[in-house]
Amino acid sequence: MIWTLEPHQQVLAFVLRVLLFASLRDRAGWEERSIAFSEAGMTAAQVWDQLELGPLESVCVAVNQELVRADQPLRAGDELAFLPPFTGG
Amino acid sequence: MNWPFFHPSPVVEIGRDESIQVQIRPDAFSAFHALEGWSGAAAASAVFLGRVRPQTLDGEPLQALELQHYPGFCERQLLQLAREQLQHHGATRVLVLHRVGTLRPGELIVLVAVEADRRGCAQRCCSDLLEALKHQAPFWKREWCSDQGTWLSGNTPL
Repeated sequence: MIWTLEPHQQVLAFVLRVLLFASLRDRAGWEERSIAFSEAGMTAAQVWDQLELGPLESVCVAVNQELVRADQPLRAGDELAFLPPFTGG
Repeated sequence: MNWPFFHPSPVVEIGRDESIQVQIRPDAFSAFHALEGWSGAAAASAVFLGRVRPQTLDGEPLQALELQHYPGFCERQLLQLAREQLQHHGATRVLVLHRVGTLRPGELIVLVAVEADRRGCAQRCCSDLLEALKHQAPFWKREWCSDQGTWLSGNTPL
């Protein structure tokens, strides 16, 4: 299907599902959000910066449930999870 | 062979997923029932049961221990840890049950069971897998004491 947009209409390039866990949930006050971006090639680190939750250094990043580098480009529909240090079992 | 007490060994291939069972349990479970449903006819079995300690890491009385996990991701990581230890030790079957949610002191938090052809292999695999879980499993723990919750950054010593 093809949509024709009027000049005043904006297309959001992609939507991410962002998940937080443990202390990060407490800090942010939420567990899960869908976040829309108009900029292609956004990385996890750039998303993290927009969340304003402090430094990323001790936080692991998972995209679609696989651990990845924070500079990995994201795609539409990705599940992006920020994981604070694990305590273990 | 047709002895009344003889049961053929289950067909298990090392490294195949059917030889490894990992479950994250949101509710209390019975170790007896879990083992009764899982145990095969291996010559050697080793089992570890872990319960919630009554004190915090600082020695204060513990109200509850909260465990959080990332569903799907956590199971895959545990499966990978179990697969590595099973292959390393040459064990035949592994069962890992791990609680999440809010646990009271004394509640069962983890069950690790290993079957092998020899006791040494079963015991070493069980011990090493438990240590791998203690240090690498993707759980987050929060201790509750005097109605205050504290996320933990480390684990208990061996």
